[in-house]
Amino acid sequence: MSNPRKPEQSVTTTCAYCGVGCGFKAETISGKIVRMTPWKEGKANHGHSCVKGRFAFDYYNHADRVRKPLIRSSISDEWREVTWDEAFNYAASELKRIQLKYGKKSVGAVSSSRCTNEEIFLTQKFARAVLGNNNIDNCARICHSPTQFGLTSTVGWGAASQHFDSILQADVIVVVGANPTEGHPVFGSLMKRRIREGAKLIVIDPRKTETVTSAHCKADIHLAIRPGTNVAILDSIAHVVVKEELYNQQFIDQRCEVDEFHNWCALVSAERYAPEVIGPQCGVDPELIYAAARLYASGPNSAIYYGLGVTEHSQGSTGVMCLGNLALSCGMLGREGVGVNPLRGQGNVQGGSCLGSWPHVFSGYRFVSDKPTRDSFEHEWGVPLDPEPGLRLPNMFDAALAGTFKAMYIMGEDPVQSDPNQNHVIEAFKNMECVILHDLFLNETSKYAHIFLPGSSSLEKDGTFTNAERRVSRVRKVVEPIAGYQDWQIVLKLMNKMGYAVAYDNAGEVLDEIARLSPAYRGMSFDLIDKVGSVQWPCDENAPHGTEVLHREKFPRANGLGTFMLTEYVPTREKTSDRYPMLLTTGRILSQYNVGTQTRRTANQIWHPEDVLEINVEDATQRSISDGDFVTIKSKFGETELRAKISTRVNPGIVYTTFHHAKSKANAVTSDLSDWATNCPEYKVTAVDVIPKNITNLIYESIASHEKIDQLGN
Amino acid sequence: MKILIYYLVSFAGQIDLKGNKFMWSEIRNLIEEVDYGTPPREGKLVNLTIDGVNVSVPEKSSIMFAAAAAGKPIPKLCATDTLEAFGSCRVCLVEIEGKYGYPASCTTPVAEGLVVRTTTEKLDQIRRGVLELYLSDFPPGEIADGWSEFHETLKKEGVSRHRYGQGKNHFDELLDTSNPYFLFDPSKCIVCSRCVRACSEIQGTFALSIAGRGFDSVVNAGQDENFLESECVSCGACVQACPSHALVEKSLFEGEYKHV
Repeated sequence: MSNPRKPEQSVTTTCAYCGVGCGFKAETISGKIVRMTPWKEGKANHGHSCVKGRFAFDYYNHADRVRKPLIRSSISDEWREVTWDEAFNYAASELKRIQLKYGKKSVGAVSSSRCTNEEIFLTQKFARAVLGNNNIDNCARICHSPTQFGLTSTVGWGAASQHFDSILQADVIVVVGANPTEGHPVFGSLMKRRIREGAKLIVIDPRKTETVTSAHCKADIHLAIRPGTNVAILDSIAHVVVKEELYNQQFIDQRCEVDEFHNWCALVSAERYAPEVIGPQCGVDPELIYAAARLYASGPNSAIYYGLGVTEHSQGSTGVMCLGNLALSCGMLGREGVGVNPLRGQGNVQGGSCLGSWPHVFSGYRFVSDKPTRDSFEHEWGVPLDPEPGLRLPNMFDAALAGTFKAMYIMGEDPVQSDPNQNHVIEAFKNMECVILHDLFLNETSKYAHIFLPGSSSLEKDGTFTNAERRVSRVRKVVEPIAGYQDWQIVLKLMNKMGYAVAYDNAGEVLDEIARLSPAYRGMSFDLIDKVGSVQWPCDENAPHGTEVLHREKFPRANGLGTFMLTEYVPTREKTSDRYPMLLTTGRILSQYNVGTQTRRTANQIWHPEDVLEINVEDATQRSISDGDFVTIKSKFGETELRAKISTRVNPGIVYTTFHHAKSKANAVTSDLSDWATNCPEYKVTAVDVIPKNITNLIYESIASHEKIDQLGN
Repeated sequence: MKILIYYLVSFAGQIDLKGNKFMWSEIRNLIEEVDYGTPPREGKLVNLTIDGVNVSVPEKSSIMFAAAAAGKPIPKLCATDTLEAFGSCRVCLVEIEGKYGYPASCTTPVAEGLVVRTTTEKLDQIRRGVLELYLSDFPPGEIADGWSEFHETLKKEGVSRHRYGQGKNHFDELLDTSNPYFLFDPSKCIVCSRCVRACSEIQGTFALSIAGRGFDSVVNAGQDENFLESECVSCGACVQACPSHALVEKSLFEGEYKHV
């Protein structure tokens, strides 16, 4: 028959893929998900969707899902299936043994942006209240930690100033180091809608992305900078704003620290930031810098959207500050249609950031060293808490190599694939005595784990996600957890087994605790979200239904004023040389999500069966590389092989790849440099050389991979 | 209930309690359970009568929208409130007192004092005639147990058969199953262009178009390419918009897709 089966039930929930956080109705027949349809009332997506959230849900039921807990005493042993009880007991006894032998601070935890707010909060509670130290970090470390730092220093809060719909009021849209139509597709569609209505578009990106040019979407100005020169180009734009007095004096006088403004003017107006000087350094026509500055300042509403192309640099935090400075100087904050907005990569990076999975701050970014804050947590949790900040994720790896860090609980992360300098990370894991991995699938990191706790996908649990516009939406259980427990229950059980008595009847009670302990979430509850659909923080007695646009009257800083940070350009140490003459930069593609553990297990593979290396025709010809050849990419950190794709999207001297496939090992090549302030790795700039590879034995692989695609297509 | 809430919002003059102006009602005032047929608008309220019910809606709303708000939804195929009106299916015709003819309610804007009738003997006759024409080129074995908008409209209007013999038809058109997640069955396509408009207006990819004219009109991904080879980014907006399950998720089928 060719009439479709009619779904029996429908549950409204939130997509777990990118930071847009689309509302979906998950429809089931006999307890199995048969369709995801976009929710018309979803405030982030208004009934729209992309190929990931709409269709790529089958991973949840994939044969590779681990359905029973696994343990082994050594990573050279085979995994052994055990009961949950046995796994919890083993994990608890190992953690206790290690803490007894190596000290309280020899263990730590890592949470992930794929987890719900409730799970992230419980994981940091696990580290602080149960393990008794602040060794807790999350994957925002490797993507948007500079956002946190850079925006907090200038405008007070490390989060998007606007809601997504605000872009429909923007006259000038500036996209820096982001590719919304691929990375945040539903927001990308909204942006394109506004561009079709006539908004101007400025793109700052080394690559001619789909945002720069695609059907009915053309950038008016594309600053195709050399990777690593963000701060230079932004300072140069600021130079023009100051020199030509394009700034908004009234806004500066009323809303900003005027002395700091003058200090900033003195810096950026220096001749070394003149477009004529910076243009050649960035590989950009100076006239375009002038044009971009004039267009941005003229607005009347100019909105900045940026991504990891700003943050994942040795000057990532500085780059974010440049954006904050620019928006303040031109008065582009505090109303609809303007603002500075990070496009967060993963479904819950904003939540990961907000909820205290950091070694130095509790939820709401309040310092662990601050006594009154610590008191409130000690009071709620009933245990004394460590006033010393803990280790950041890279420091945990360093400490592991030094022999002082021995056990890690990792929830929903794959650091071996996603963290920089892969070999270093692997050696660190090998040096640990107990690695507890809590995930859906065995992955690269599980090769070095001793305990595997099978988690639940977002379709199998209750909780909330906070998207890139600070919107907190409900994640609702659609089907029963495949391995038996919702993730928050697993953390809870682990806490209990470690001897910490606490009980929650449902995830909503965890959100209630978050609300009690975090000012921005104070008014939130499952009830409120059920009633109004979703809520943007801050949500409190002044904003009982949340806040769409931040900074309307003042900035959340002690004096209520925005401030200017000094953003001297310091070129990265990662430079091209005779040996490594090209710059590698990395990004994402529409059909795959992050390290691909989910989307690679769906038919999305058909669009992106492998990562490829985009290379300009000039460079390819010089190296006798043809389209489709396998090439070796070498940096001083390592090497990997990818198929080359000759492309006009990258300029000569620059190559580009994605990191969705474990076998590509893109992070074996990336540098170990990181942001000066936050340790966010410099994924976006690595000096490399590209060498053609003998292709004979790879024809076989190519055939094999095509056969695989055919299978998936059926 | 939801309709009532919409009213309260409308009557508040598009200003919320804090004095912020409501904006972009086209996307922000959508309601899951209700399809107003054309996008919500904002602005000054206009009063009119639909089948004897008084209703106030923002200016520039369509008569179709006003009717839905009045609780008198008008049958439709090519219209949905996530897309701008198109006026191609000719199912949503109405009578307006003092005006000639039978205008399509989706493309006719409201005006102060209009008196509109959505069902009269003549309208029902025309509407059934149009639906029968659609039915005459729809796979006959798949009318009874379907649940698409098209099927539901037929049921509601009491049309289950047509008066025509088997003429030229699209029953044997080739399926496009190239996309891993959805298929396109041209035999079920009523060429309402909702998919084409969703691809341009909502997704902004402009991959789809209608090729050919008249009887040969067919939804085309790219330039005579299949969906997979085309510019299509597989966002699913077209599948969401399709009223007749011509574009439909593969996951809703068990076993091979073939006509009865």
